[in-house]
Amino acid sequence: MFGALADPTRRALLTAISDRPAATATELAAELPISRQAVLKHLTALAEAGLLDRERSGREVRYRVTPEPLSDAVSWMAEVGGQWDDRLDALGRQFGRGPHDTA
Amino acid sequence: MRDRIEREVFLIATPEEVWEALTDPATLQGWLAEEVELELRPGGDARFRDGSRLRTGWVEEVSPPGRRDLDERGGRLAFWWAESGEPASRVELTLDPAEHEGTLLRVVETRPLEILDLVGIPLRGAGGATFGPALVAA
Repeated sequence: MFGALADPTRRALLTAISDRPAATATELAAELPISRQAVLKHLTALAEAGLLDRERSGREVRYRVTPEPLSDAVSWMAEVGGQWDDRLDALGRQFGRGPHDTA
Repeated sequence: MRDRIEREVFLIATPEEVWEALTDPATLQGWLAEEVELELRPGGDARFRDGSRLRTGWVEEVSPPGRRDLDERGGRLAFWWAESGEPASRVELTLDPAEHEGTLLRVVETRPLEILDLVGIPLRGAGGATFGPALVAA
């Protein structure tokens, strides 16, 4: 999955799509400095990596960000954030902890 | 798409004392993980165990407080870790002197989505610890 994101254009596309419910290759090509054909190539790679869902809408295909990798990110942040809270609590007990935490 | 955790804690200790807690294996085992092995040089091996959870990784940066290439007396330790089969993440611990002889410790943990630009390669934990310098050298 991460291999598909090694290309900065793909990350820009993914970010652009995640800002709205769904987007077509034509819409994205109008916003980014690359051709519709190049956009389509990247969208296909992202869809094959499981990062985008495709949905036919009349003559066009609409792409939306797959919810799973995003909810995976949310659960990762919750889990890892909780672990650091616990670790820093333990470290704080060793030294004493001041009033300026933003944890 | 931000796989990033950031925490800050103000500790009543000098940056040098906090650095000791970040780098001395015995002290690390009091807060970072139950068992810690950290080879304190860039590219050194790292190993962390908590119960049945084992993370392995490597050290990216070891900059003790008081070095002239960092602001004032700040210090920084950065390493990568991953559980087998999981994507690797990067941990950066930054120390800065704070008021009343204290230290501000900032922790940032990131997963590759956001930092692929810095590394330039896709990182994968799949199939073992095939990330970091080993992959660059391969």
